[in-house]
Amino acid sequence: MKIRIDQQEIDVNPGETILEAARQNGINIPTLCYHEAFGGQGMCRMCMVEVKTAHSTNLVASCTYPINEVIEVHTSTPVIEKARRTIIALLYRTAPQSEFMKKLYQEYKCVENQLEINENERCILCRLCVRACEEIGSSAISAILRGTEKRISTPFDEASTVCIGCAACANICPTGAIELSQTPAGRTIWNRTFAVVTCQRCGQAFATREQLDYIAQHTGIKGSESKLCDDCRKKNLAAQIEQYAQ
Amino acid sequence: MDKILVVQPAKCTGCRTCELICSFTHTGEFNPEISRISVLTYEKVGFSVPMVCQQCGVAACMEVCPVGAIAKNNVTGAMEVQDSKCIGCKMCTIACPFGAIHYHAVNNIVSKCDLCGGDPACVKLCPSGAISYVEANAGSISKRKAFAAKFKNVFEEVS
Ligand code: SF4
Ligand code: FES
Repeated sequence: MKIRIDQQEIDVNPGETILEAARQNGINIPTLCYHEAFGGQGMCRMCMVEVKTAHSTNLVASCTYPINEVIEVHTSTPVIEKARRTIIALLYRTAPQSEFMKKLYQEYKCVENQLEINENERCILCRLCVRACEEIGSSAISAILRGTEKRISTPFDEASTVCIGCAACANICPTGAIELSQTPAGRTIWNRTFAVVTCQRCGQAFATREQLDYIAQHTGIKGSESKLCDDCRKKNLAAQIEQYAQ
Repeated sequence: MDKILVVQPAKCTGCRTCELICSFTHTGEFNPEISRISVLTYEKVGFSVPMVCQQCGVAACMEVCPVGAIAKNNVTGAMEVQDSKCIGCKMCTIACPFGAIHYHAVNNIVSKCDLCGGDPACVKLCPSGAISYVEANAGSISKRKAFAAKFKNVFEEVS
């Protein structure tokens, strides 16, 4: 099927989202809550585009809009740009502590708004962390409470029993909102401190016990029982090769 | 049939050209820290060995990845990391028995050898011919097996 995005004619497979079709053809649409690992969530609306069908013209979230008919898409119009500026301005108000949002706010030349400012917040509720944790298979975190109190946490803010301490959530978070601390005593995330497994060769903490269990379960490889960090596993092997070669 | 990287430590002089060209090819930067091949040198005995991913048949990194960000390139046979799909759990770096995939804070990605899409830069630039890229035929495979057999205890320990 052929559709037009910003005057460019492109071939798409029915069912493909506008965002995917655009990106595959080098057309960039800004996103916040989209990630290639899980696709669109339709949460942030940053990816909004204008879609003209035979009957109507609408603003839609391109990350979740499947292409099922011949359409014409515009990814940047004054209306869309204004909508994006509004989204960013609102999100920056909700998460003023985030450098990431501050940068976007400046980049998009946003204007002040009257929304109440959320002093210490960094989270924009994009839920990428929630999705990442679901993929790991833990689903330790979700959006709790409602309205202006809504935030991401473990149920009742309690130390999670299902979290494995991999910190994928902290890593995927675009705004650096998730607190993670790693000391020799352990790795702390979501109100729980995990004992860390330290490398027998260099002493560096490289995993949690729970991560090693996860790996053993998913690969059946005893190697995950290894007591060496990735660097030392390589050095260990090289040392054996050296021994043999002599 | 896939081609494979064959390393001959006896020929390696420890010059680290491969590390530099690897990092440059993948990142545009000459930084051995983020190279996908690393040369380990034993000064006392004057021995160096370039260590690089062997593209396992059953690859722990690929098996453990929860989001399918590591996939086999069907043309080259290399396990490739798709950065845009990676969620940063680092599980692959812990799972690899050979320590051939690492996370680097500098560019915030996990990286491993991808055979440069079928034309490995290290092979081309190694001045002493210590790394070659050859057809995986019965001969080269049995050589590799013989090599692995010598380290049977290593592999058993870790795999
Ligand atoms: S760090 Fe990335 S590539 Fe490695 S297992 Fe996690 S998601 Fe997959
Ligand atoms: S990226 Fe589409 S709604 Fe967030």
